[in-house]
Amino acid sequence: MTTKCKINCSLFLKRSALAIAITGIFSGSLPAQDKPKTGGKSEATILMSYSKSADGHKMAMATVKAKKDGKFSAAKNAWVNFYVLSGGQPQKLRQVVTNDRGVAKVELGKDTPLDDSLYFTVIAKIEGDAQYEDAQEQMHYKEANVTLGMNAQDTSRTVVAKVTEMGKDGKESPVKNAEVKFCVKRLFGAMSAAEEAAVSTDDKGEATFAYPKNIPGDTAGNITVVAKILDNDKFGNVVAEASANWGTHLANIKDPFPRELWSPYAPWPLVITITSLFGGVWCVYFFLFRQMVKIKKDGKEVAKAETIKN
Amino acid sequence: MQSNIEDDPKKNSGRRDFLRFGAIAAGLTIVGGGLQKVFSGEKEPGEKVKLLSPNGKVYEADTSALCEFRPTPVSNAEARKGIEGKKFVMVFDLSKCDGCKKCTEACQTMHYTEPDREWIKVFTMHDAKAEAPYYLPKPCFHCDNPTCTKVCPVNATFKRQDGIVLIDNERCIGCRMCMAACPYSTRFFNWSHPGSAQRAAVGNITYSPEQSVPRRMGTVEKCDFCPDMIRQGKLPACVSGCPMDVIYFGDQNEDAVTNSSGVTVKLSALLEQNAAYRLLEELGTEPRVYYLPPKNRKYPAPEAGAGEDGKPKKHSAMGSMPM
Amino acid sequence: MENEKFDLKNEVEILREDCLRPTRTFGRSTQLWVGFLLIIIGWGLYCYIHQLRHGLGVTAMRNYVSWGLYISTFVFFIGISHSGTLVSAILRITKQEWRRPITRSAELLTFVSLCFGGIQPIIDLGRPDRIANLVIFGRLQSPLIWDIISICTYFTGSTVFLFLPMIPDMALCRDRLTVVDTRYKRFKKWLYTFLAIGWKGTKSQWHRLETTMTIMTIIIIPVAVSVHTVVSYIFAMTLRPGWDSTLFGPYFVVGALYSGSACVILGMAAFRKLYHLEKYITPRHFDLIGKVVLALTMVYAYMNLNEYWIPAYKMATAEGHLLSDLFTGSYSKAFWTCQFGTVLLPIVVMAFPKGRKITPLVITCIIIAIGAWVKRYLIVVPTLLHPFMPIQEVPESWSTYFPNYVEFSVTAACLAGIFLIITLFSKLFPMMAVWEVEEGIEIDHDTKVAVELREQRHVEEAKAS
Repeated sequence: MTTKCKINCSLFLKRSALAIAITGIFSGSLPAQDKPKTGGKSEATILMSYSKSADGHKMAMATVKAKKDGKFSAAKNAWVNFYVLSGGQPQKLRQVVTNDRGVAKVELGKDTPLDDSLYFTVIAKIEGDAQYEDAQEQMHYKEANVTLGMNAQDTSRTVVAKVTEMGKDGKESPVKNAEVKFCVKRLFGAMSAAEEAAVSTDDKGEATFAYPKNIPGDTAGNITVVAKILDNDKFGNVVAEASANWGTHLANIKDPFPRELWSPYAPWPLVITITSLFGGVWCVYFFLFRQMVKIKKDGKEVAKAETIKN
Repeated sequence: MQSNIEDDPKKNSGRRDFLRFGAIAAGLTIVGGGLQKVFSGEKEPGEKVKLLSPNGKVYEADTSALCEFRPTPVSNAEARKGIEGKKFVMVFDLSKCDGCKKCTEACQTMHYTEPDREWIKVFTMHDAKAEAPYYLPKPCFHCDNPTCTKVCPVNATFKRQDGIVLIDNERCIGCRMCMAACPYSTRFFNWSHPGSAQRAAVGNITYSPEQSVPRRMGTVEKCDFCPDMIRQGKLPACVSGCPMDVIYFGDQNEDAVTNSSGVTVKLSALLEQNAAYRLLEELGTEPRVYYLPPKNRKYPAPEAGAGEDGKPKKHSAMGSMPM
Repeated sequence: MENEKFDLKNEVEILREDCLRPTRTFGRSTQLWVGFLLIIIGWGLYCYIHQLRHGLGVTAMRNYVSWGLYISTFVFFIGISHSGTLVSAILRITKQEWRRPITRSAELLTFVSLCFGGIQPIIDLGRPDRIANLVIFGRLQSPLIWDIISICTYFTGSTVFLFLPMIPDMALCRDRLTVVDTRYKRFKKWLYTFLAIGWKGTKSQWHRLETTMTIMTIIIIPVAVSVHTVVSYIFAMTLRPGWDSTLFGPYFVVGALYSGSACVILGMAAFRKLYHLEKYITPRHFDLIGKVVLALTMVYAYMNLNEYWIPAYKMATAEGHLLSDLFTGSYSKAFWTCQFGTVLLPIVVMAFPKGRKITPLVITCIIIAIGAWVKRYLIVVPTLLHPFMPIQEVPESWSTYFPNYVEFSVTAACLAGIFLIITLFSKLFPMMAVWEVEEGIEIDHDTKVAVELREQRHVEEAKAS
């Protein structure tokens, strides 16, 4: 029984860091399993998805929605038990609580048990939760590998994504007709490299994408291309990354803090105007101070002369 | 730190766990309000709390052993320079905004602000009688020709190379010239000492202009685009707190912005295709925040009310955009 | 001829005595007055310490109205500090003889109001403990720094300007104070000697004094203009409706001269009455300075026309909201009363010679002084309550403003401080520039003698023919 999870891949990937962090929001004061039931529990449903990140980490994600006032919305703080099927028997992975978006995730280790056809099965269950009724869902996926080739010839640049799966004989074999979406990594997420950036793999398991020219890179012109297989029936979500010096160079800002009114450094005309105007006035003041000193000196001389006379 | 690893103890232990806890704690601080409960001293010492590690393991830790984790803030000099090669930009898609103020809440949680202080404020606008009302969330615009940094006598508020305008509350003398100069009423003044509840919540975080806390009496504060979050590769609190995906944030140099669902779009195309505009453009402040007009709304418009004569009213739910 | 000379000497002697008499006594009423002022200052100081400890939150200021009575008072005090420049410098340059008895009080008013005007922004600071940052991190682009530079320059200048004509008088005081039997008198003797900087009245000293006076008179005028121009710039350099005006510089300068000269009239009247100077400060002086204030009122009225009529004709959105609030809204009563009292009334009263008699003139000037203060408030506060973004869903205290007891107490203490310093000054130093008035008497006398001689010659010529 395979669940096809309609979950936005980029959402999953980009939010993962944050979502992982929020997963932990709970404390002793929040409803726990041992608390007595108060009122009826909400009806809950689970959606599951699987994804493999560029660095090979495999994640199972359960999104729990609960019926509240006739509408399904994200179920917070639901305890989800994750199991993997090992030799037909469920083996408990661990218990995870859902975050504000109703998401609970678990990492699948390298030793995740596979069945004869190299598929693995993950089951998510809500069992005896204080707020939500029991629910269960499972998913069934196989691991795929995506490798990226960055080819530059003259002015044309292409990205080739080769999708392979492990055969029973232990050899990698190409995957045909898998749709690969080509994106460019940005600060907070992966941006579609072109308006039509989805390409299906051919008989050799290769998807070839003509890389557009106008995508800005970093100061050195480097970009990272991200190839994604999204919601594949067989492989779930798979991501691969590769870098190249293909981006348009970011024009270096010569001086990020120019002499401007808004910057820490005053424009020269302003400095010169203020200094000369007020400096001039102060020069006159100093002349006046000197005159006053001289008045004093004159007085002293007169006083001296008077004492001599007397 | 005491921690009992419930299962799978062989992989991670010791310091790494501590760091991961830290990451969780930081995450909590950022998104949920729940953390304050954990740390506000409601519990007896010795009580255990359950915490979850990023890879799904449950830990139990003594509450007294928990400490809030924030990455060590960058130095003042670094905070003044900003992140090299970046030009941060924010886009509000008004057609999606339903005025729920979740952005304000997320911001207030993140920055421990008092409820009356809205660094990002959601206005209900009604420009003219014949026009439809709409919601207008307004953060600091981090202008490229900022009136506030121009008038600051001590360079306490400054514009960085990544476009962000920050305040150094260890230098600010509290003259409030910047507040008078800002045409968007973005700045707030700490008229009194921060309350004891707030001080307890903030704890003894090392101050940095990048995180704006702990706040100090007699200084000015405002929306800071969450540069401490950006440095961790995370979206600002309001962006990730928006359930309607109204707010996009990103680097203009990369020509990409991302919303809370993680959807990353081409900035230039987004602005071009949606007839983006900037607020009070005629003032020449060059805001770094763009608005997409509330066309084809995805929510019911706010009810037309007191402001339908096209004049802003004090205390009314409606305001209008003069100009 | 012998007779005439004797009379002149006698007149000068009488003048000197008249001027020095108040400095010799410190009567019961003065003591009471000083005590009263000290109580106000003490209470104001207490309120200020309260404000220092608990922050500016103890005032009525909040996030929209972030500047209030303090900044309004700053503008007002700096405004009246222009009196000294106008009366003293401008009248000196134009060689107006009638200036002589009033220059000292005008210069003193400048000095004192600058002292207390200058501390207003410091009282208004959120972090006065960080005031050194202005020097350490000062940014030349900030209008506030221009203010500081300009006010410091003006303060130094006006102190010198007050001091220079005092030198011969100090020598006079020093020489006249012969009996030093008490500690107070010993202090006075020391003070006069110190301030007289060895004045002996030699030719070279007079020459130097005249040179420095001439230079100071010229240089102080542009400095004074710069002060009120940059004071207006802390408002005019913003984009806020009501402040974003190119007229603000001259508008503030004229407003300053206008309110300042009105305050000079008040000072003149007070000293004339209290120190019995009726012989020297005559109704003619009031008539003449009344004409100056009349002229300034008309310029001020013209500035008001430009400041309000131009935007009112256009009613641009943001500015329109502000103007309708001023003209017909919540500030209309204050606004129109103020405009009536400071623009229309003074013109009507002072246009007639009867209106320039002492009593009506003093009443008008009191109205002008209060009106000018209210006007500063009406420039500062309503603009802050009319931001571009609407004021929505904020605490009630944010969207209204009226100064509370802390602000009133601190401001009253500053005003009392002005009165205190003037009182103490007048009890130590002559309130008229003795030598200048002497010079005037001599000129008068010389003219009389010349006229008599000419008449005598005419008579002799007639006889001869």
